[in-house]
Amino acid sequence: MLTRIAGGEIVDPVNGRVGKGDLWIEDETIVAALAGRQPDVTLDATGCVVMAGAIDIHSHIGGGNVNTARLLLPEQHKAHAPHPAATPLSKVGWTTFETGRLYAQMGFTTVVEPAMSPAAALHTHLELADIPIIDKATLAILGNDDFLLSMIRDKASPVMIEDYVAWTVASSRALGVKVINAGAAAAFKENVRAFSFDDVVPFYGTSSRSIVKTLQAAVGALGIPHPLHVHCNNLGIPGAPDTVAETIAAAEGLPLHLAHLQFYGYGTEGKRKFSSGALRLAELVNSTPEITIDVGQVMFGQTVTISSDVLRQFSARGTASPRKSVIYDGDANGGGVVPHNYRDDYYGSLQWAIGLELFLLIQDPWRVFFTTDHPNGAPFTAYPEIFELLMSREAREKAMDGLSKRALALSTLPDLTREYTFEEIAIMTRAAPAKLLGLKDRGHLGAGALADIAVYRKGNDIAQMFRSAALVLKNGELVVEDGIVKNYRWGKTLRLKPTPDKAMVKRLEAYHQERHGLSLNWFDFPDSAIQREQPFSEVSCNA
Amino acid sequence: MTVAWIGDRGVPVADAAKHAAELLVTSLCPVFSLYTDVHGTRAAIALASRVGAAYDQLDGEAVARETAQYTDKGGMFIAPGEVRRRADVVIIAGELPAAHYDLIAELANTVPDLDGGTGKRQFFLIGADTPAPGNVKATRLSCDGGVEATLAALRAQCAGRQTAREVAHFDRFAKALGEAQFPVFTFCGQSLGLLGLEMVQGLIGDINRKQRASALHLPASENGWGSTQASTWTTGFALRTGLARGFVEFDPWRFDVARMIADGEADLNLVVAGDAGSVPAGRTGLALIALAKTDKPVAGAAVTIAIGQPGIDHDAVVYSSRIGTLAAIEAKAPVELPSAAAVLRQIIEHLPHEEAQPC
Repeated sequence: MLTRIAGGEIVDPVNGRVGKGDLWIEDETIVAALAGRQPDVTLDATGCVVMAGAIDIHSHIGGGNVNTARLLLPEQHKAHAPHPAATPLSKVGWTTFETGRLYAQMGFTTVVEPAMSPAAALHTHLELADIPIIDKATLAILGNDDFLLSMIRDKASPVMIEDYVAWTVASSRALGVKVINAGAAAAFKENVRAFSFDDVVPFYGTSSRSIVKTLQAAVGALGIPHPLHVHCNNLGIPGAPDTVAETIAAAEGLPLHLAHLQFYGYGTEGKRKFSSGALRLAELVNSTPEITIDVGQVMFGQTVTISSDVLRQFSARGTASPRKSVIYDGDANGGGVVPHNYRDDYYGSLQWAIGLELFLLIQDPWRVFFTTDHPNGAPFTAYPEIFELLMSREAREKAMDGLSKRALALSTLPDLTREYTFEEIAIMTRAAPAKLLGLKDRGHLGAGALADIAVYRKGNDIAQMFRSAALVLKNGELVVEDGIVKNYRWGKTLRLKPTPDKAMVKRLEAYHQERHGLSLNWFDFPDSAIQREQPFSEVSCNA
Repeated sequence: MTVAWIGDRGVPVADAAKHAAELLVTSLCPVFSLYTDVHGTRAAIALASRVGAAYDQLDGEAVARETAQYTDKGGMFIAPGEVRRRADVVIIAGELPAAHYDLIAELANTVPDLDGGTGKRQFFLIGADTPAPGNVKATRLSCDGGVEATLAALRAQCAGRQTAREVAHFDRFAKALGEAQFPVFTFCGQSLGLLGLEMVQGLIGDINRKQRASALHLPASENGWGSTQASTWTTGFALRTGLARGFVEFDPWRFDVARMIADGEADLNLVVAGDAGSVPAGRTGLALIALAKTDKPVAGAAVTIAIGQPGIDHDAVVYSSRIGTLAAIEAKAPVELPSAAAVLRQIIEHLPHEEAQPC
């Protein structure tokens, strides 16, 4: 089928196409303008901005910890805002089904769950398979697992470590690798209560630094397109910019992605010893081209923090609101679920401001990524308001009016005049994520790209524009019209498929038999277990 | 071989599914009682959303208590693999279902290797009448009043408070706890009430002020916990959820299906069971649709459809207490019988006005 999106303002930074024009789609793919052929369908985009479908690189949308959060907080689902009645299970908040619907309505077509425990990969993929419309992907967590820590302790060769990482990525069907507070979960099991970059994990004698660098090297050597995705030590602690600086310095010219940097942006100035460290972090990022970051913007209101940084979550459980939490010592990282209400008090105001400062102070939109670390900083449904804050200084000034003046005095935000352009938004939420994840088929509108397209009706209300896309096409199918999902389809989960080394498989089989009394089969599954037709789509590793 | 019946009359499966759909559509208050795998649960919820049913675990009291531990309180929990590798003290808090005896025996037959070198594992058993699972050698901790009274006294004595009842062998326990690297309490909603579950977590919270400890959840029903997981991601809520009003409602009392049947609220019960013997007897005024492994119609059922047992007759995804998450299980002895999910989807196909399905 031939479709023409006519008369829209095309914003496609990858192909240098910015301006009014038509976009042609044949079946699932964007094609060059076709002279002499009549489209089967013409979609009017007059007065609209046309971008590639947005890609979220870090949003906790499925898996054991996410489901535990749902289980822990039934009252939040109950209080969820009403939804359109035409959809099945339409009044449900924050389910797999709603996740797909709400993302699609905002023009997002690919979302990465960034914290999959390899031991619970099947659970994660079952949930992701139940998220309609969009494509998904996962990052497999390593860096607190006994097998890797033992190999580092025993000075295993880099090739052996690469084989293990390859097996983990392949068997868990991941698109990349994440390390979360490297070594801290293992140390917490030994009753360690604080853990920094050069602290050593008891029993293994290896430091967080060593774990990060080992994994960074393995990810690079395997040609995994996405650089190692790092959740640094000391999240949420005043003074954490020092930890970030150490981690950035340790990158030593090799790509490294730092997750939800806002949560490390807390300085120690002021009476409360809690100030903005955003300027320092932004300068570090600006001066280190191998570093990419996502922000983890905080917005005010009730949410729940979900993290495989079990040590940090254990420390935070006293602040739970409502007062209940789950702490889980898993086979490697485990995790914690701690509900939290961000208030517009001194601390909340600063957290909110620090995120925006990072967005506005980091100069290169190819290296700063748009996230709230859903749901940790805010639910992803807050994205439209954040787009408005980034694109409008006036909106920021209005928002700052009601916030703590003392907090804002310790932030550069009131002085920042930058306003994101549509082109920068398209880079930050489309082109750059596709590049970072190695997804060559999306993130742009050039001929041959997957027809994942978001069309937004321009207006003065920026948030409304991004909340309700005028049109969204996924794989060439029209799925959203005027902000309402019209067509449910099932997306795929994007994965890498490195070939596991046979000797490593044998070694892992022996390890699991000896240490867990179980066959390795328990930690793998056939694709048929998902019970959907072709649930996965393969992405190539770099040569 | 006949595998589907309307009343006592053998019929093709498609006819039975069609009749089941007709009964569900005309029911004013359908309720589902589930004992099935993850995909069976997903399909049952899809059907429930179409016909406005409430759903629960078959014999779901214990699963509801375990759920309440999460929905009301939360807590600290640990993966079974970590228990095997780290737990140098295991405290069995109340009777465990026989399904978990093998795991306890395995723990008894191994020693932790990540425990800092003690190389041994001690067991304690809470409650005077609590059977020792797998004949494990354990020091019994008990006082008058049963398991929960013992837990209360134990927590008080650990905190240095005076108690009306002394826990037998407390000194031995206190010594073991003081030396332990990672004590782990096992718990199950079958033998502990809500207060008991809360006290286990209270004790663990106390211990974690200075040292590590956690709880190993050994569910009353692995199928029940797997269904709880699937229900939670599908609807946002655990079992005991209703869809009768066009949106999802979670209410552990209101949608307690056994209560709804006993109080005469329900007029149709769709039961997914492992075998015909597990299907509750029918009642006057309650139409019964039975999906179970059977070679004959279930007594009193308006519709019976034979299904295979997950992991035995067909491949399945189930919750495994051995790994503490969902696992893909290959059929032990594959047979032609359809899965619950397949039959439930067939019933959905016979419903009027097809809509997009979430599952």
